[in-house]
Amino acid sequence: MKIPILRLDRVLLVSIQADLSDNDAMEFQSDLVTRVAEVEALGVAIDITALDVVDSYMARVINDTASMVRLLGAEVVICGVQPFVALTLVEMGRDLLGADCTFNLGEGLALLRQRIAKRGDVRFTEDEDV
Amino acid sequence: MTSLFDQLQDTALLDEWRQGLPATTRSTGLDTRELLAPLYLAIMKELKDHEPPFALAEAPAALTEALRAWVAAPARTGGSPTEPIVALLGLKQLLLREIGARAPAELSTALARFERVFDALTLLTFETFAAVRERLINAQSASLMELSTPVLRLWHQVLLLPLIGVVDTQRASQITESLLEAIVQYEARVTILDLSGVPVLDTSVAQHLMKTIDAARLLGTRIVMTGISPEGAQTLTKLGIRFNDVISRATLRAGIAEALLMVGRRIAPLSGAGTTAVPMGPPVLPTTLPPAMPPRGGQAS
Repeated sequence: MKIPILRLDRVLLVSIQADLSDNDAMEFQSDLVTRVAEVEALGVAIDITALDVVDSYMARVINDTASMVRLLGAEVVICGVQPFVALTLVEMGRDLLGADCTFNLGEGLALLRQRIAKRGDVRFTEDEDV
Repeated sequence: MTSLFDQLQDTALLDEWRQGLPATTRSTGLDTRELLAPLYLAIMKELKDHEPPFALAEAPAALTEALRAWVAAPARTGGSPTEPIVALLGLKQLLLREIGARAPAELSTALARFERVFDALTLLTFETFAAVRERLINAQSASLMELSTPVLRLWHQVLLLPLIGVVDTQRASQITESLLEAIVQYEARVTILDLSGVPVLDTSVAQHLMKTIDAARLLGTRIVMTGISPEGAQTLTKLGIRFNDVISRATLRAGIAEALLMVGRRIAPLSGAGTTAVPMGPPVLPTTLPPAMPPRGGQAS
């Protein structure tokens, strides 16, 4: 199952709707990273509202993806972590999301916008050539 | 003469040549019999058959092949280029002795002396030339090393270190050293580390980078990394390498913007005119001043 990556200007939006197989997860990761580099994204929102269960592998994939995206110079937020998911992740003792989390996508995008506005490359948009 | 060289075609001379090689040539494998024998035979054949003058370009394939195989060994192991020449001249002396034995005494002593002087001159010329050339190469490679890691002063208190090519241990320590010196010299508050030119990001490169970054931070500068490729980002993360609190930007351009922001500067168009129009008149002073920024600590990391 391929996860669509939506683009809103220079913000990318991915919503994980169902449990991913290991292969799908890897594919998702490399797709997203490639896309971030392609559009020189400034921010990425990963929505996991629809996930009721996040196992340690999936948590790691999300975490790694966030690190990669940050290395490529984009801000990351993770949206809609369910209470039960949060609980299991804490119990697993994993520092799941090194990235910041928000209740829902709307707040996630607001946070991204706020972060992006603070950045140097956006403050100098007068001479944007992209 | 042909008949004389016919008499010399025996392998006793080869053995004598081989025994008489100087000790230094022996260590580099020049005395290997399997290499010497074909060379000896080719030289003898050449002496017997070839009409003078002897031109380098028309040397028969058998001779050049044998010579190449013989010379390759010391060339690879780092021996001096004079060694095979000394060995060859040894053979020449041997042959000269044999020829001399068959010629009038007066002629042979004169010939021997003449040969010795010119052999010595040849060697000396060669050695001097090689020494000068080597010194030149050393100087060039040293300056190449310096050239390959320039620390550029991008703006007041902003440094740019564009990394190009493979980062190995030796280069890494040199990079770190020159970067730290520059940071102190210019009191840089921000340093941009551009990795666009680094072909492969692996564990060792990442570790070197980490050390450089940590050392730079200790001096009180902030680091902005730029130009990491998607593959590079994936590799680094999968290797479990985290550059915590290092700001990373996709392009050098974004990195420069970020760095300027940190020192309270900005790039703005001249006057309020359209961005594409180039002012044709006298230079217009910028009306938009840099935003007033509270001075940053600089030490914050």
